[in-house]
Amino acid sequence: MNGVGPVEPGEGTRVWDPAGQPPPPGHRQAYDRLSAFCARHRRAVPAAAAAVVLLAGGGYLFATRAQEPPAAPYPSQAIDIRYLGREGPPAHAPGGSFTFAVRVTALSGPTITVAGISQPYAGLSLTSVPKPPFRTRTGFGHKIVVTMNVTECANTPRNAGLPFLDVTLRNTRAIEDHSYILGERYAHDFSDALQVACSNDPPSLAKRWNAAEIPAVRSAGSHYADRTNRP
Amino acid sequence: MPGKGLLIVRQRSLIAITAALAAGALTLTACGSRDDDGGSDSGSDGTTVVIGVDAPLTGELSALGLGIKNSVDLAAKTANKDKTVEGVTFKVEALDDQAQPSSGQQNATKFVADKDVLGVVGPLNSSVAESMQKVFDDAKLTQVSPANTNPALSQGTKWNGGTKERPYKSYFRTATTDAIQGPFAAQYVFNDAKKKKVYVIDDKKTYGAGLAATFTDEFKKLGGKVVGTQHIDPETKDFSAVATQVKSSGADVVYYGGEYPQAGPLSKQIKAAGVKIPLVGGDGIYSADFVKLAGAAGTGDLATSVGAPVEDLPSAKEFVANYKTAGYKEAYEAYGGYSYDSGWAIIEAVKKVVEDNDGKLPDDARAKVTEAMQNVSFDGVTGKVSFDEFGDATNKQLTVYSVEGGDWKAVKSGTYTG
Repeated sequence: MNGVGPVEPGEGTRVWDPAGQPPPPGHRQAYDRLSAFCARHRRAVPAAAAAVVLLAGGGYLFATRAQEPPAAPYPSQAIDIRYLGREGPPAHAPGGSFTFAVRVTALSGPTITVAGISQPYAGLSLTSVPKPPFRTRTGFGHKIVVTMNVTECANTPRNAGLPFLDVTLRNTRAIEDHSYILGERYAHDFSDALQVACSNDPPSLAKRWNAAEIPAVRSAGSHYADRTNRP
Repeated sequence: MPGKGLLIVRQRSLIAITAALAAGALTLTACGSRDDDGGSDSGSDGTTVVIGVDAPLTGELSALGLGIKNSVDLAAKTANKDKTVEGVTFKVEALDDQAQPSSGQQNATKFVADKDVLGVVGPLNSSVAESMQKVFDDAKLTQVSPANTNPALSQGTKWNGGTKERPYKSYFRTATTDAIQGPFAAQYVFNDAKKKKVYVIDDKKTYGAGLAATFTDEFKKLGGKVVGTQHIDPETKDFSAVATQVKSSGADVVYYGGEYPQAGPLSKQIKAAGVKIPLVGGDGIYSADFVKLAGAAGTGDLATSVGAPVEDLPSAKEFVANYKTAGYKEAYEAYGGYSYDSGWAIIEAVKKVVEDNDGKLPDDARAKVTEAMQNVSFDGVTGKVSFDEFGDATNKQLTVYSVEGGDWKAVKSGTYTG
């Protein structure tokens, strides 16, 4: 027994249905009709099946054709920025400054460049190490040390509930200004530092530093294209 | 890498050809094959799970409500098409709360009475949610709101005093709370828009008054001045008296805690009184209908809303395309992405419960689904969807929009990472 039987049942090779279990009449009729149809169209049936094969194969190949890679995500949607905590001041930090660290992690997509870090308050200026612009490596947490200098106590938020850090991000998709609200721990440390920095100064204190020495605080502008959410 | 991509395409081609030939061979042999004694139709004896939707489907806030309903419907259809939960067909049943707490409570009772309902998406209004929470919690029926922003709903009434306590284990939300939205708006208005004197108006409702309070608190901390406050009656559209008060206050900005049916006419009447200052509001005014109601004078008005603009999210591309293909008449509006994610969170929870019970729903399915919701985690339309210990969304993004050229345009987004 080689395991290869007749393609079509020959005389006496038919396996009969077990007794007592006749197929439903409708089913039997359909089968008989199909067998008769096959017998009448021995050439046409293979040709039709071959056409089906070609169509199915072609359709599948079309469906699985090489497609354009998906667009990169907007950089703000592919990055995480977290507050780490207070840090010691850098060597030449002026009085009235305070230092903290954040961790920047690009989560996915193409390389994201941190093009700028700023803060929105008029009485403060900001520097960071590393200094922007710098590139991030996807999946790797970069520690950024930020130092804020109090330039005018009268224009600082002594008790802000949710202070921001504004970050400009760039990748192949877009350049975006995005605010990071670093949470209650940052708000607490930020307020404490300002209280200490301005503790000896009345709110009406004039500027601590010569304005010419202070880097301008960049204001965040719109970067979004027109859009609507109509379906 | 292009080389790798090409290889994958070639492999796919081989698979395709093999599959096609196999299909052809089966077709060719079909004529000569034996009858196999009929067999039985596998049938569709699966279970139907109903996802309830509660939102204002009629009335002034229906634009937002219908966007919620359609988006949940899309989630259910997608799950059914993809057979996300084997043996379970999802059906959406939507009830209209007309933005009224009493209607919301009646709807909650109806949902509880229907044993096929294993989760409810909604409502839109925080005040409506307050009336529903206990009804759902008593029945251990999970509720996920895509739009409620009042912090007390998930963190208790003492949330602002530092004592956060979750009142109901069955309540979840995908939207960010006003504990962040109000301060976010205040920071933008004070620092970016450079407005220092605000006139604060609210509609005395849970959402509006709560949002106005969190805005005011932060605005004052930043050094801004509140030069006047007023409540309005949301049942009226004549705001001429308050417009006059705004004019005499010397305010350079108006903050309104409430919704667009009142905010639009309020903005229009303030400008008509000769006060050319922007009106700022929260997600309750972020609707195309606000722009229509405020008219041309509304240019420059601002709104904050939950989340990043859906169009910016790579994860939302498919949602936007599928929503369009589905042919819904109404826009998905401010909460479309969050509604889809709310519906999908329920689907994920049902899936977990079914898989843990040998492919069938257990007798205490509602309680099990509520338990499973706490640990749901998936990549949704709005990004990563999961819930913290209060049932609040862990993904907290907000965006400032400005009315320009007759439409809302995003101007700045922020992410809470605390």
